[in-house]
Amino acid sequence: MAGLMVKRDVPFELYDVDILSADDEQLKGISSDMSLSLSLEEMRNIQEYFRKEGRNPTDVELQSLGQAWSEHCCYKSSKPILKEFVFGIDREDVLSKGDAGVMLFDDDYGYALRIESHNHPSAIEPYGGAATGIGGILRDVVCMGAQPIGLADPLCFGPIDKEVDLPQGIKSPRYLVNGVVSGIRDYGNRVGIPTITGGFFFDEKYTGNCLVNVACLGIVKRKDLANNFAGGPGEVMILIGGRTGRDGIHGVNFASTDLTSTSDEDSRGAVQLGDPITKEPVMHACFEVNAKHLITGMKDLGGGGLSCVVGEMALDAGCGADVDLEKVPLKEPGLAPWEIWVSESQERMMCTCKPENVEKVLEIFEMWDVLATPIARTTDLKRTRLFWNGEPIFDMDLEFLTGGPVYERPYILPETSSRSKEEFPELPGDKEVILSLLSDLNVASKEWAIRQYDHEVRAGTVVHPLVGEMNMAGPGDASVLMPVPGRFKGLAAAIGCNPWFTEADPYKGGKACIDETCRNLVAVGAKPNAFTDCLNFGNPEKPERLGEFREAVRGLGEIARELGIPIPSGNVSLYNEAPGGHHILPTPMILGCGLIDDVRKAVTADFKKAGSCVFLFGFTKDEMGGSLLFRKYGGKEGAVPDVDIPVLKRLMDELLQAMDEGIVLSCHDCSDGGLAVAIAEMCISGRVGAEIDLSGILMEDYRKKLYSESNSRWIVEVDGMNVTRFTEILGNDATLLGITKGDELRIKDVGISVPVLEMIEAWNSPMWKIMGGGAQ
Amino acid sequence: MKPEDVKVCVIRIEGTNCEDEMAGAFEMVGAKAEKVHLKQLLGQAPADMRRSLEDYDILAFPGGFSAGDYVRAGAIFAARIKAGIGSDLKRFIEEGKPVLGVCNGFQILVELGLLPAMEGTMSEVPTAALYNNDSGRFECRPTVLRNDNRGKCIFTSGIKSKQMLSIPSAHAEGKLMSMDPDFVQKLEDNDQIVFRYVCPDGSDAVYPWNPNGSPSDIAGICNPAGNVLGMMPHPERVMTRYTHADWTRNPGPAEGDGYRIFSSVIESLTRN
Repeated sequence: MAGLMVKRDVPFELYDVDILSADDEQLKGISSDMSLSLSLEEMRNIQEYFRKEGRNPTDVELQSLGQAWSEHCCYKSSKPILKEFVFGIDREDVLSKGDAGVMLFDDDYGYALRIESHNHPSAIEPYGGAATGIGGILRDVVCMGAQPIGLADPLCFGPIDKEVDLPQGIKSPRYLVNGVVSGIRDYGNRVGIPTITGGFFFDEKYTGNCLVNVACLGIVKRKDLANNFAGGPGEVMILIGGRTGRDGIHGVNFASTDLTSTSDEDSRGAVQLGDPITKEPVMHACFEVNAKHLITGMKDLGGGGLSCVVGEMALDAGCGADVDLEKVPLKEPGLAPWEIWVSESQERMMCTCKPENVEKVLEIFEMWDVLATPIARTTDLKRTRLFWNGEPIFDMDLEFLTGGPVYERPYILPETSSRSKEEFPELPGDKEVILSLLSDLNVASKEWAIRQYDHEVRAGTVVHPLVGEMNMAGPGDASVLMPVPGRFKGLAAAIGCNPWFTEADPYKGGKACIDETCRNLVAVGAKPNAFTDCLNFGNPEKPERLGEFREAVRGLGEIARELGIPIPSGNVSLYNEAPGGHHILPTPMILGCGLIDDVRKAVTADFKKAGSCVFLFGFTKDEMGGSLLFRKYGGKEGAVPDVDIPVLKRLMDELLQAMDEGIVLSCHDCSDGGLAVAIAEMCISGRVGAEIDLSGILMEDYRKKLYSESNSRWIVEVDGMNVTRFTEILGNDATLLGITKGDELRIKDVGISVPVLEMIEAWNSPMWKIMGGGAQ
Repeated sequence: MKPEDVKVCVIRIEGTNCEDEMAGAFEMVGAKAEKVHLKQLLGQAPADMRRSLEDYDILAFPGGFSAGDYVRAGAIFAARIKAGIGSDLKRFIEEGKPVLGVCNGFQILVELGLLPAMEGTMSEVPTAALYNNDSGRFECRPTVLRNDNRGKCIFTSGIKSKQMLSIPSAHAEGKLMSMDPDFVQKLEDNDQIVFRYVCPDGSDAVYPWNPNGSPSDIAGICNPAGNVLGMMPHPERVMTRYTHADWTRNPGPAEGDGYRIFSSVIESLTRN
């Protein structure tokens, strides 16, 4: 396409691209040569636009369109589906739906929440990819004016406990786990924000395309809640923080295509470099200028870099912007204007302010040794114009630029797993089954990672990710923070996701992810308040993949709407496919936030003592589809657990009532491995056995009672003297199973007994053995 | 002097990240705490933001990763302080004013030569160092400390001898080492050992109760005068019982185990 690129006679690198005379083949060629990832149809639209403008575009303009019209930036495949099912669950306590969602916390404060993916960069360069993922999600919260108070990192990898066939160019899961955890540790710990929850999901389908989702919570005084756009025309845009370099060029395009066997070589430059020690003072300085109300808006530079942030901050204020691109501070000389415009170099923010406040703003950044440079002005013309030492190099209508295409792509509804075709697997003895489920890496202790993350910095962590006896702890359900020093109001955070349910039945899987999130929050005594979702799916241009996406979104939208719980922020990550077309499990990752009026009433999952009563709360059904038991022992099909939403609502209200009255000693949700694993985990964290009887559960097959993963269930420990009051509140929704006792888990009616010490060993050691080190 | 007259300087640079809770801890025991950037003490700030060390009664070095700790933990921060306000700091300590360093703050005090400082207030070069944990990993976990000080340290003046406190650790470099073979004995002789890691039953700590492999299970030391304390675990994280990792299992007072360290020093200052 060299003939179509005409270097302009200026003392810097600028090309006019002869798009007006290009035929279809040449349009495709331009898109691929310039790595724009734009389709022919999109290129034709662009041709049409410039025909009306009466001139050819510059390379800067085309690159900018490549960014703005990427799936990552404009959600062109997912938007119609999101609009149909999840948008518009509004409630009056939603304070903002900006770069992060902000919900009412109490009279004076709001809390921010946001999750996003950093999958493709982490697959190429796990340490840097994960670290910059943390950096990006922190900026999303900071630009709401909110102090970050907690990070959460749910991660999905291929198996690390067996050898797997690695597609060409794909890194081994163990290497990825190590790199990602180190990246999260080094960035999160250095920047001083606790990593309070997360999750590990292991499955062969993640081998070729791991998932690194990162979430952040923040707290903001309501009067300091920031806008992510300018206050109007005539304002100054100040670029803050890191310098701009060639790292992270075309990151959004890279995120919007499948991984290939050569992604490692081709796209290494798309992975940004993080620097937490630049980030930390950037945060302080941003809070200071915001709290002094010297700025009108701020926004982080993420995907698309300057090319996205300038237009969005201007357009959302009904303005345009004039940019002096040569003023952008660079890491190295010699970057072409288009590279500066689209670079995703890290640790950068943009703020807007009135001209009279520029000096004061700059003085504060100077105090923190943070680079801050006025580079643009907002105008009353809805266009972005770029200049390089006065030479115009870019002049586009903002609505065209940011409008982007939207596609109603074809989809095929997936076949779902059914009970009628169920094949129940051959099982070894039950003791062996229980120990083997506990040592499955999807259940086993993640202490190896958790203790590398500082989960207590900021001194607000009330319920920790590991609960029970000090240094011998078991799994918790949700973590609880005290975000405002001196106040006992708590914010709980929990992850919910079941990609196996979602694969077997995407609609029910979507619902189950929300159910699990709610269960986890309620298990600590928090009332679910808001969700943020990261929808990780395959290539939307394949109808089967889009069908999974659509059904999962329908499920989670339906349950969130019926529960009346808003989703004020979220993220979609498509094209999660490995070389050879191997797609991931459909993975709708949910972070839920709950409120608890008094953290002193929080409940943890460890059995507290011998001699108390153990209840199953909720209903166990014949729902083996997607269960850990079936996955482990080769069961097939089976009904995927559904959610009866009114029942879920009732159960949550009842349980929260009992907790508020202080009569729940411990509580844990039933998820992977069902009732058996839930009780075993409570024995592990509480270092006490239990003697139970399943005859109160009305079902034929005791193995289904033990291992079915029906939703909306919890195990609850209650002191004998409070049982009467407890059953008054919970009525027939609770079934007495037995008591805590001794040093074994005994299931009397079916003659199973497993020593607690053996369960501890089974649960505790697998990840340590694989990843190295040891603690207990 | 009343508690509210006690002015605490919580010093920070880029990468310091435990300053909010450190300031909060001093506020909880009634003092006035101010977060002060090193540049404010060096005169590199607008006039209204400049501060002078001598105006404060207590100096606290919070945890974090000052300047990224890319050289050696605490080394960069220490070098900047020494060059800029080294003599002010020396005077501050010689006047008997208390100085606390937690985690990265402890590392900085050692790099500054303020600890163990067996001869003089501030040694020319560091005489000890905080090495990588034996596990080779960052360790965020509960630890139990025993007050082994015999009465010299101002920060434990309100804590009974041999009392055990549950105070969490979170660091990658916390193993206190020295070239001096008699290091531990000298610390012991000078009553400079303040906290030792122990098992919850009070017996000698083994990993993970000693999370870093520190010799003689040393978790915190003071200078020979007793007014400078450095410790790896974070008392500012357990000012209430509700941030202890296992609080839902144990009944107890609302006060957390870190509280007495801060109240001890304020009580000492206000008694005089």
